[in-house]
Amino acid sequence: MPLSLYYYLSITAVNILMSWALYVPYRVAHLHFITVANMTISGYLSGYLVMNLHVPFGWALLIGFAVGGIIGYIVSLFIGDAPTFAVVMVGFTFIYITRTVIENMDVIGGTMGMFGLPNIGGSPAAHRWFIIGILYALVLVVGFLIFRFDHSRLGRAASAIFVDRDLATSLGVDIKKVGMLLQIFSCTLAGGVGVLYGFIYKSFHLDFFTFALVGIFMTVIFVGGYATQWGTVVAAPILYGFPLFFPPEVQSWRIVIYGAILILVLVLKPEGFITRKFVHSIGTALSRKRENS
Amino acid sequence: MQVFIAQIINGLSLGSIYVLLVTGFNLLLLVAMIIHFSYPQVVVFSMYIVWIVLNATGNNLILGIAAGVLSSIALNVLCAPLFQKVMKNRGDVDINATMVLSMAIGMIITDVLSHAFNKGLPIAFPEALTGSKPFLRIGLISIMPGQVWSLLMGIIAVGCFFLLLYKTRAGRAFRAIAEDPAGARLVGIPLIKTGFQSYALSGVLGGIIAVLLAMLLHSASPGLGEQISHKVLAVSIVAGLGNLVGGLVIGLALGILEALVQGYASGSWSNAIAFVVMLVVILVKPKGLFGIKV
Amino acid sequence: MAQNESNTASGASPLLSVSDLAVSYGQIKALKGVSIEVFPKEIVVLIGANGAGKTTLLSTILGLNTPVSGTVTFEGKRIDKLPADKNVRSGVCLVPEGRGVFASMSVLDNLLLGAHHNLQNKDKNLARVYDWFPILKKRKDQIAKTLSGGERQMLAIARALMSAPKLIMVDEPSIGLAPIVVNDIFNILMMLNKEGYTILLSEQNAFKALKCAHRGYVLETGTVSIAGTAERLLSDPGVKAAYLGA
Repeated sequence: MPLSLYYYLSITAVNILMSWALYVPYRVAHLHFITVANMTISGYLSGYLVMNLHVPFGWALLIGFAVGGIIGYIVSLFIGDAPTFAVVMVGFTFIYITRTVIENMDVIGGTMGMFGLPNIGGSPAAHRWFIIGILYALVLVVGFLIFRFDHSRLGRAASAIFVDRDLATSLGVDIKKVGMLLQIFSCTLAGGVGVLYGFIYKSFHLDFFTFALVGIFMTVIFVGGYATQWGTVVAAPILYGFPLFFPPEVQSWRIVIYGAILILVLVLKPEGFITRKFVHSIGTALSRKRENS
Repeated sequence: MQVFIAQIINGLSLGSIYVLLVTGFNLLLLVAMIIHFSYPQVVVFSMYIVWIVLNATGNNLILGIAAGVLSSIALNVLCAPLFQKVMKNRGDVDINATMVLSMAIGMIITDVLSHAFNKGLPIAFPEALTGSKPFLRIGLISIMPGQVWSLLMGIIAVGCFFLLLYKTRAGRAFRAIAEDPAGARLVGIPLIKTGFQSYALSGVLGGIIAVLLAMLLHSASPGLGEQISHKVLAVSIVAGLGNLVGGLVIGLALGILEALVQGYASGSWSNAIAFVVMLVVILVKPKGLFGIKV
Repeated sequence: MAQNESNTASGASPLLSVSDLAVSYGQIKALKGVSIEVFPKEIVVLIGANGAGKTTLLSTILGLNTPVSGTVTFEGKRIDKLPADKNVRSGVCLVPEGRGVFASMSVLDNLLLGAHHNLQNKDKNLARVYDWFPILKKRKDQIAKTLSGGERQMLAIARALMSAPKLIMVDEPSIGLAPIVVNDIFNILMMLNKEGYTILLSEQNAFKALKCAHRGYVLETGTVSIAGTAERLLSDPGVKAAYLGA
């Protein structure tokens, strides 16, 4: 497949998955930015495992997920029920510390990064199909899991916490447990995605994992709609895709454009484009069609 | 020993700037009721404006400083209606929404700085502003004018701020809103108009900080805003959100701590130390060392 | 604590007129069409149980809530769509339930906040307030948190007076106060009324309130069920049974 299509599809999948990784904890108002740090840590770790220790990719990917989950678990012990700004600050701090540590570790490339990771499946073409395949399989699986979560008792508990924490507690919801579960899920997902992210380019570099990434995922969620998982699915391909139609000089201003769109949405359409009402009305329309046919 | 003293002086001047930043941040938190993550980025933007005006006018200090203060006020005041609209949108004050808005603003500022100014390379401030010769020399210790100014201005600004808060009508309104916004409405204090005043005031503060930073650091870069904003947030979280006195103590403490680490260990770790401390405090005592006052 | 029947309706048009007011909090209908009138120099009492809508009525009059329908007219002008700070400037003020003083600020600062829109006359008003409430003068530099319940209620009333109001609304002045202190507070309200202030107050303690008021309204689940002079309400069997413990 043409290279540009490969990059578009793979990066879009990453954006969908990472925005979902942020969507899940935000159901209890946690902006879990530590996920970008998870990407970085698991990504570099997997790169090191594959390149220097010749670990097969499959294992490296699984380890990436696991490391994400472990970090997520340990941190959630402390911030499972913390206020939003604390979660944000912990996230930023982890990103900062991670970057500083990696910058100073020459064994994984330091400021130069890691290059020339091997192709999975032997050839560059096979590698690309493989990556796209895994990414979209992941999109389907994760999408399904989130769908089930949203329509479960856990999802309703999360909504209650979002609206009114004290009310939720008085209804018997264990805020910390719910928060921890969501955070662990999110960090695990982020770990794996970080591994795949690097393998899209067959290299790892600190420039991949900057604070700008936080901005991109935040824009996808809030513009798409933070109240449902579908907002991300719609917003990610569009937000990543439409700048590609513009000349490169405009494209370099991508982050500014995203920021401006985010501000416009926050002010004009606070729930995002795909709101809960919208999804509900589509659901009703579909079920009505099913009845009539 | 002399290294120690030199670093303490360094630390105090840097700390004064942190104190000023935290004060502006707390002001917006308590009175405008927003968490303005990217307040320091607005400050760094003003630094760039100072740099541009200095370059354009051949180092005219007065114009440069005026431009910095004005641009800071302008940017703050321009963002005010955005914040207030977002707050109104989400019903009662939903601090989360203002956080995301603030981060979006910061996103834009940082990226604009990386693109449009000096091709994203760091900028250097002329010696006319920073002063090239030490102000005072005691043995091996040399005190630069920038350090003296930031310490002095820090004291004056914080002093004026507390005076305003406790001895003026506007300050009373600020404190009332900080303690109880609903109660303040009851007494007839216009929340939005007063909130607006706090944006303007933090703009003035921001302009002063921009000039002081320029004098102290001698340079600026697009990433500086993010770095400082994380540290300022670290300070306010460790002190306790909204705690003015706590912010004073922790701001100075961080400045001294960073300076000491810088003096005795490698450079890039001095930045990380702030985060490590903050991380420990957030995880262990999320309400901060002095207690949340908001 | 005698009533002054001769003071009733000493003016043809009402100072405050609420007409068919409906207020909702989301789905909950707090007020379903309430109409009351307050004439100058009167003391009017709102009686009702918790949740009847007394606080909602007072805060809507001040301008803290916007009604779904109905009007509030003050001195002949509609004020129901105006913000609270404007109405305070026009002379309406509210002493909220639970005192509503700024606990971390000094007594003097609290009083000055009351005069926020009336600072030119602050010295004159301060002198008057210290005259009526000497205990506040004594404690003027103390933090409001250190005052007793009764003193805080006095501070809240004094603060309202600093804005030179034309209508003083008081929400449940007796809540949480010892009976002796409650007597003091009601004496103060009656004294202020003699000085010419118009007072609208809400109370659960119906007996004491009716004893010093001219007229009253009984609110039940968002509507006015009974209205009349204080004397009539005191002898009404329905009111007696529900609110006077007879």
